[in-house]
Amino acid sequence: MQFARKLPKTDTGVDDGIEIRIENLSVRFPDKNSRATVDALTGINLDIRRGEFISLVGPSGCGKTTLLRTIADLQAPSEGTVTVRGRTPREMRLQKKFGIVFQSPVLYDWRTARRNVCMPMELMGLPRKQRTRTVSEMLDLVNLLGSGHKYPHQMSGGMQQRVGIARALATQPEILLMDEPFSALDEFTKEKLNEELLSIWSIAKKTVVFVTHNIAESVFLSDRVVVLSPHPGRVSAVVEIDLPRPRHLAVRDTPAFGALVSRVRNSFEGV
Amino acid sequence: MNAIRWKKFFASPKWVTVVWVLGLILVWEIGATVVAGVKRTPENVLPHLYQIIGSVFSSQKANSTQTAIQIVLSNAWITLMRAGIGFALGAMAGFMLALLMSLFSAVEKMIFPYLMMIQMIPILGMAPIVLAITRDIDKSRIVIAAILTFYPVATNTLSGFKAVEREKRELMFSLAASRYDVYRKLLIPSSLPYLFTGLKIAAPMAITASILVDTLQGGGGLGCMMSQSLKHAMTIYVFWQIVFLSAIIGILSYQLMAWLEKLVSPYRRSGGDFPATDAKEPTP
Amino acid sequence: MNKQSNAWDQISTFLYPVAFGALFVVLWQTGLLHRLLGADTFTLPLPGRIFTIIEENTPAIMGNVRATLTVALGGLALGSLIGYLLGVLAALFSKWGKGGLTLASAFNAIPIIAIAPILNNLTKDFSTDANIRSMFAKILVVTVTSMVAMSVNAYRGLTELKPFSLDLMRSCAASGRQIFFKLRVPNSVPFIFTALRVSVPGCIISALVSEYFAEYIVGVGRQIRENIVLAQYATAWAYIVVACAMGIALYAALLISERILLKGRG
Repeated sequence: MQFARKLPKTDTGVDDGIEIRIENLSVRFPDKNSRATVDALTGINLDIRRGEFISLVGPSGCGKTTLLRTIADLQAPSEGTVTVRGRTPREMRLQKKFGIVFQSPVLYDWRTARRNVCMPMELMGLPRKQRTRTVSEMLDLVNLLGSGHKYPHQMSGGMQQRVGIARALATQPEILLMDEPFSALDEFTKEKLNEELLSIWSIAKKTVVFVTHNIAESVFLSDRVVVLSPHPGRVSAVVEIDLPRPRHLAVRDTPAFGALVSRVRNSFEGV
Repeated sequence: MNAIRWKKFFASPKWVTVVWVLGLILVWEIGATVVAGVKRTPENVLPHLYQIIGSVFSSQKANSTQTAIQIVLSNAWITLMRAGIGFALGAMAGFMLALLMSLFSAVEKMIFPYLMMIQMIPILGMAPIVLAITRDIDKSRIVIAAILTFYPVATNTLSGFKAVEREKRELMFSLAASRYDVYRKLLIPSSLPYLFTGLKIAAPMAITASILVDTLQGGGGLGCMMSQSLKHAMTIYVFWQIVFLSAIIGILSYQLMAWLEKLVSPYRRSGGDFPATDAKEPTP
Repeated sequence: MNKQSNAWDQISTFLYPVAFGALFVVLWQTGLLHRLLGADTFTLPLPGRIFTIIEENTPAIMGNVRATLTVALGGLALGSLIGYLLGVLAALFSKWGKGGLTLASAFNAIPIIAIAPILNNLTKDFSTDANIRSMFAKILVVTVTSMVAMSVNAYRGLTELKPFSLDLMRSCAASGRQIFFKLRVPNSVPFIFTALRVSVPGCIISALVSEYFAEYIVGVGRQIRENIVLAQYATAWAYIVVACAMGIALYAALLISERILLKGRG
């Protein structure tokens, strides 16, 4: 493959093979219409292994995005704890150990693709030479090396989202958090980016937490699929995906793939 | 064939504008002809355009030393300078206040209702009292232009800060960016279009204010010359030249802001050249 | 913890501006504001004195308020009506209309001072009564200034339809007339309010300024000017307070009617 580079890897904290440990986590929001609260998540217990590609899948309102945001320290837990490598999400965030890809690309429209990827490194105060080199590496990784001079409005949705992924990887984060990154793209672009994401992951060796409402996508990408059900948000099943890697789009046509998709679909409760 | 060519000729927006301008000139000239037929002093009501243009190039002295156009241009400079200083001060103050309101919610709560109220207060109506307080025509011109510039800039910039998508703020948060970096790298650049909306509203208003304050007291400026010309202290064509000049300055001040906006935000300049749908995906 | 901070949030939203306003009035009344601005109580009278004058001269002030309101509201109504009709015309003949409106919005940058004296001259023959003909001239100034905002917004309201709504009407075989009255006109209502938010404060300002140049001496704006010429600053301030109150009252009335009429539109 053309991604023959190995990204540098930093190591921190205690090492027991568990990257993210979620214990008895509950998140409640105040209800807009009444004084009561809404249970977004109740009693979540989940261990995510280092280097694992894990998907959170479920219908809208099941709290999958809330779970991701809690790991990222964008949302405080009401009860329970989240530990990332033995530390709190806040400590990890302040050390810039998270790379986040949102549903929309969230690019700064006054910056070119290159300077968008560069932005997090500017915040870290890295020297210019290193920034330039890393930007090129990252753009190469997402196959956009030739488009670095373009502004966001000059790029298609798929290209913009790839810039977003390159930016998330630019700080060499330990954990990549992706919140429905491809849901706004058309089916063809989505499939292509799914395959690209897997090859990026196989090189970069990050732990990936991937939120989606697309069952086939979650099965194709993941080592494990966490099925969440709504009202209240809870884990209703964790499905081990034992399809061989590296995976290519053709795997979707196999009976094994279809069986796994059915298993995930049948795990939903109360939908 | 010929008909199609004509259709194309009229279809371009540039020619639509040209035809509109020609139409307006025609209406003006018809009006002037009618007025010339019924009034004793038609140049006080609606002179022909060629008469006004002629007066621009006339070498006849309008007062002891200057021709009409010399009077107009030398006084335009005074008016423009004051408007410019007031505009710059007001824009800076407006931006700083928006920044303060965005940084400290207590400041926003304290000031925002009053900021909305200022919008409904006829500041131009207060021009005479500002003159009475400052006792200086120059100062009061600057102050009024600054106040008028201040509130569109402040309110627009503030809504620019507020319009930044939550996800963009969260991205900065997840990168543990400092408050300074959040403003420098995210909030200020993304509020620029809003700032310029404010500036585009304010620029013609600052000029209006400056001219209005001129009319209140002697001491030069377009408004002052305008009043004198209306009182027939000098040729009435000074008045007509000022009417056109102030219209042109007002429009140009708006265009200047639009041009500045393009200059500082080049990412918008080639907007039409690469629509997102046409961009090709490089094949991996 | 959360509930408490929420309550404080609501209280402070109300408390902070009131406290700020009170502080300002206190500064003014105690004369500290004068020291700050370098003004004296003659040119910048104390608030108490201003309100006493308003109280004592209520009948005279009301007469001037009536004159100014007639000009402002008459011009606003006339200008908005003509503006809306121009917007309709522009929407009917879109290609030509759009060009015309672009040009019209460029004229928006023309200072009102420039047109006030012209219109004064134009209307000299309108009536032998100086009051009526200068009233007419002033209304024309306000008409012209409030026309542009309305025509541009009306055009946008009549043409910027929700995606597919035109297709829906066509699929129902609606006539051009039906499309106009059942789709375009209702669609333009919020845009009318957008225009009014600009032109309501604008109509007061243009009314005051047009009074400066009018032949007949009447109206709140003219009184501000005349009283300053006579060095009766306290009376001038009373009229300024009245002018501000008029602006705020009209804008509040607009917001209330907008809330009632646009209820349910979200």
